[in-house]
This record gives sequence, C-alpha cells and structure tokens, in this order.
Amino acid sequence: MTAAKPILLAEDNPRDAELALAAMEEHHLADKVILCHDGAEVLDYLYCRGHFKTRLQGNPAVVLLDLKMPKVDGLEVLRTIKSDAALRPIPVVMLTSSREERDLAESYALGANAYVVKPVEFHQFLKAVKELGVFWGMINEPPPEAANRVAGRST
Amino acid sequence: MNEPNRHQPLDVGLDAPFPAAPQAEQSLSRASFFTPLFQTFQKRSIEQRVLAGFGLVFAGILVISAISYRNMTVLIRNGDMDKRSHEFIQFLGATGEAIDDAENGHRRFLVTGDESYLAAYHTLRERAPEYIRYLRELTDPDSTQRVHLSDLEQLINQQLREERAAIELRAKTGFDSVRGMALTGVAKTALDSARRLQAQMEQEETKALAQRVIESTTTTRSSIILLTIGALLLFVLLAAVYYLIRHDITERRRTADELHRRGELLEAANKELEAFSYSVSHDLRAPLRHIDGYASLLAKAGAISLDDKAKRYLQTISESATRMGQLIDDLLVFSRMGRQEMLRGTVNLNQLIAALRHDLRHDLQDRAISWTIAELPEVTGDAAMLRQVFVNLIANAIKFTGTRPHAMIEIGSLDNGPDEAVLFVRDNGVGFDMRYANKLFGVFQRLHRADEFEGTGIGLANVRRIIHRHGGKTWAEGALGEGATFYVSLPRVRPSA
Repeated sequence: MTAAKPILLAEDNPRDAELALAAMEEHHLADKVILCHDGAEVLDYLYCRGHFKTRLQGNPAVVLLDLKMPKVDGLEVLRTIKSDAALRPIPVVMLTSSREERDLAESYALGANAYVVKPVEFHQFLKAVKELGVFWGMINEPPPEAANRVAGRST
Repeated sequence: MNEPNRHQPLDVGLDAPFPAAPQAEQSLSRASFFTPLFQTFQKRSIEQRVLAGFGLVFAGILVISAISYRNMTVLIRNGDMDKRSHEFIQFLGATGEAIDDAENGHRRFLVTGDESYLAAYHTLRERAPEYIRYLRELTDPDSTQRVHLSDLEQLINQQLREERAAIELRAKTGFDSVRGMALTGVAKTALDSARRLQAQMEQEETKALAQRVIESTTTTRSSIILLTIGALLLFVLLAAVYYLIRHDITERRRTADELHRRGELLEAANKELEAFSYSVSHDLRAPLRHIDGYASLLAKAGAISLDDKAKRYLQTISESATRMGQLIDDLLVFSRMGRQEMLRGTVNLNQLIAALRHDLRHDLQDRAISWTIAELPEVTGDAAMLRQVFVNLIANAIKFTGTRPHAMIEIGSLDNGPDEAVLFVRDNGVGFDMRYANKLFGVFQRLHRADEFEGTGIGLANVRRIIHRHGGKTWAEGALGEGATFYVSLPRVRPSA
C-alpha cells in the first residue's frame, strides 16, 4: 500500500521544516514525513544505520532534498542515491531556494526527478509543498521494493 | 660628366615614402623640412613605420644598384675605347709609314726607273681605302677624328694622284723631265699635310686616352665611396627597423602579460560575484519566506482573536516580504544578464514578437489593444536575451497603457544603415517627462508611484544591460500623458553572413 511509505524531507533550517510540515498538515501528510537535518542523516536513513538502525525496512516514497545542507550537501546525497542500484529508483525532488542555472543543470545531470524552487510567498510555498506531498506521497506509484535488497538487509 | 652625385642615395631614400616633399624646400632648410616629417613619422602605426623602413632599405638598394651598374658600364666602355684607341694609334702610325714608304719608293723609281721600287706605292694605292675604313671603324661616328680621317683620305688620294702623274711622266719621257720632282718629291705639300694631320690625330687620341684613364679612376673611386656610404646607410636603416620591431614586440608582450593578469583578476572578481549572488539567491530568500510564512500562520491561528487592524498589519508584513523577494529575484536576473555567457546567432525578430504576443494573449483578454507591427529586420544576438528585451518593452507598453480605453502599441524599425538596426516600441500610454529620460534605464528607478503602476523598476535596466552587451544603445522619447517610444539599436545581420 502506497500510503504506508514515508516522505523523507531533508531540511536543515528548522523554520523551513516547520513551515513545510505545516503545509503537509493541511493534507494530513505530516505524520508520514520523516525529517532529516542534514545530508548525512538522509544517508543514515536510507542505509538504515546510525540513528535509523532500527527503522522499518523499505525505501521512502520520495526524498525532498534541500541543496544547501551541513555535513553532506544535497547534490552529494543525490549523487550517492543515483549511483546506488538499490536506491536509484527512489524519486528525488530538489526543494531549494536556488534558481541558479548551474544548480538546475547539475541536479538534473545527476538524475534528480524534479526541481522545485521554494517560493518566497508563503501561500505559494504552501501550495508547492502540499502538491509535492500529494503527488509523490499519494498519486505517484512508487517503484516496487527490490526483493534482493530487503533480503540482504533483513538479518 | 660621369661624376656621380654622392648625395643621391640619401635624398632618394628620404623622399621615397614621402613623394610630396618638394626638392626645393629640402635645399632651403633642412631643419624645417625634417621636423614635420618626423612628426608625421611619429603618428604612423608600427606596421607603417616598419614598412617605410623596409621601403627605404629597398629604395637604397635600388639606387646603389643603379649607380653601380652605370659606373660599371662606364668602366667597361672606357676599357673598350682604350683598346680601340691603342689600336687606332698603332694603325695610324702604320698608315703613316705606308705613306712614307710609297713616297720613298716612288722617288727611287723616278731616279732609277726600276719598277720594283713602286711596290710600296701600289700597295698604298690598293690598300689606302681599306686603311681609312678600318681607322674609321675605330673611331666614334661624331668625333673630330672622323673629320680628320676624311681629310687624311683626301691628302693620301692627292699624294697618290700627284705621284701617279710623275710616274706616268717618267715612263713616257724618261728621267730628265722628272729630275726635279725626284729630288724634292712631287707630293711634298700633301705629304707634309698628311704627316702633320697624322701627328695631330695621334696626339688627340693620346689625350683622349689619358682623359679616359682619369675618368675611369674617378668613377672607380666614387663607386667605392658610394657603396661604402650606401652600405652604412642601409645598415643604420636596418638597425632602426630592427629596433622598431623589437620595441614593438616588447611592448606587445608587456600588453599581453598585462591583459592576462587583468583577465585573471576579472575572472576572480567574477567568481566572487557569482558566489555572492548565489548566496543572495539562497540565503536571503529563506528569512523572507519565514516572515511571510509565520505571519500567515499567525493570521490563521489568531483569526478569531485578532482585530482588523492587527490582521492588516500581518497582511502588510506578508506583502512586504513578498515584495522584497520579488526585488531579490529581479536583481538576480539583472546580475545574471550581466555575466551570463552570450550565445550569438541570427535572431528573427518577427518570429520572436509573434511568439511573445501568443504567450501574452491570455493575460490581455480583457484589454483592448490595437497592435501595429512592422516587418522587422534580422539581427545578430542572443535569442533568449533579446526575448527578455522585448518582453520588458512590451510589458511596459501594456502596463502603461492600462489607463487608456484604446491602447495602441506599435513595434517597428528605423532605417539606420547596413550595420545597425534600430527597433522601437511605441505606446499611447501615460508617457513620461523627458526631464527624467536619463533615469528610465537605471536599476530600481521608477517614475511612477507604486500604487499607480506595479513593478520593481528593473525591466528597463535589464533592457539596457542586454543591449549594451550586444554593442547597441537604448534611448527613449516621450511626453507626459502622450505616450512613450523606446528605442534599441542592434547589429544587423550581414547579407553574406
């Protein structure tokens, strides 16, 4: 069931995170959101290690990735995800303040599935995050779990 | 006559690149002649100077060659003439001897009657024309020797005639009748004249010979002097040209180094600017989003408890944050337009305008605008940037005709030569006061209050920046309440390109 899959939100700024969660809440998606505060945490989650060692198996429905983050930045996380055969199917949406052409080009080159610029205006931000949550968390059919990965990680 | 002008190479050399310089002026005053010449030289480009230098060297070589060739010819000719003179003198002597022999033989015959003494006389008779012809060949056609030779020929003929008469008389009448003749000699007058003439001719020829020797020596000496001076001059000229070229190369190398250094500085500055605008783009926006976000959340959370005044305050906070976001975005676009790499190509403005109008049609559904769009020329430039130019100009025209019941927008071009296209966007909107025309294209410059017409004031600044990067100009004409016309000039597509 798709609804069971979490939405992984990578956001280092607590206010942005709070606003994003507030947006998700409008569609009752907030409890599906798993918040990571930097790129290292995202990778910990995906590889079930560190803080997330004991989490339930399975990939998230989508990763909403900020570009500029402490420790491991968004592009680095994206590169890791897209170069790992088991993680590659996970949809990755860049959610960032940057409209720089360089960032856009690099993100898509690394295999980002979408690129969303955070609008300054809160209502538009609300709308964007909500739509992202609805689309990737409810409408979009995520890729099936690779059996071998689940088997390899389960013990 | 063959004295070569030693100053010739110098004069020719100086005159060669400046044929207008009159000879007379040169001889009048050297200083006043050189000063403007030197100034002209200073004004020339390095290529022209080097070319002039090589021109001088070439001219110098030509002059030296020509004079050397002429001197050589003179020397060879003199040598030739000397040979002929020697032969002439020698043969003239032989002729004289032949005349004497004939005379002596003839007198012996007159005395003895022995015909064998007449051998020399017969030889002279037979060979005289031949001798004269040969002598004549050895002389120049116009020389006095030719005249002398004719005289000599006549004298010989006269001698021969008189001798023949005596011989015939002796043969007919015997020795007695010619006794007197035999003693004194019949052709004494002619013979004496011939001898004198011969001596004179010999003297003249010897004198000419001596003169030629002097001439040859002078020519040889002047040739040596000329070649030495010429070689020295050429050496100096070549050294000057070498100096010019070397100086230029050093200069160019220094300029190239300087340019390289500045390029590196510029690149570093540009990188820094890019990093700056990147962080502006990313970091400045976040707090603005938070201001708006939390103000909105507060408005929502306190919807019941807040009074209208408080709600309006929150509304203003949100609006201000949004506006600042817009300003930042515009500034980023403006900055990007300045440093973004240009992709030059041929731009069809007719298609560009048509596409723009197509994109705008939904926004203009409730507006009555009559468009006049002329056939526009093709220009060279970055299509995306030029699109931005016309987006801004047309958006302005639409915006500032908003208060007009019948808006009119005209897009056209002016004829401005084969290299440049001038395009304009004209509207019948609110216009502007020409006093502020210079402020129109400034960043964040606005001529209207924010509540009259919206906008951040970056559009025309972008237009100017893009057009400047294309090497064009922007200007505007207008009057308050009577519309405005915005002009941009762009490089036109050359037919061959």
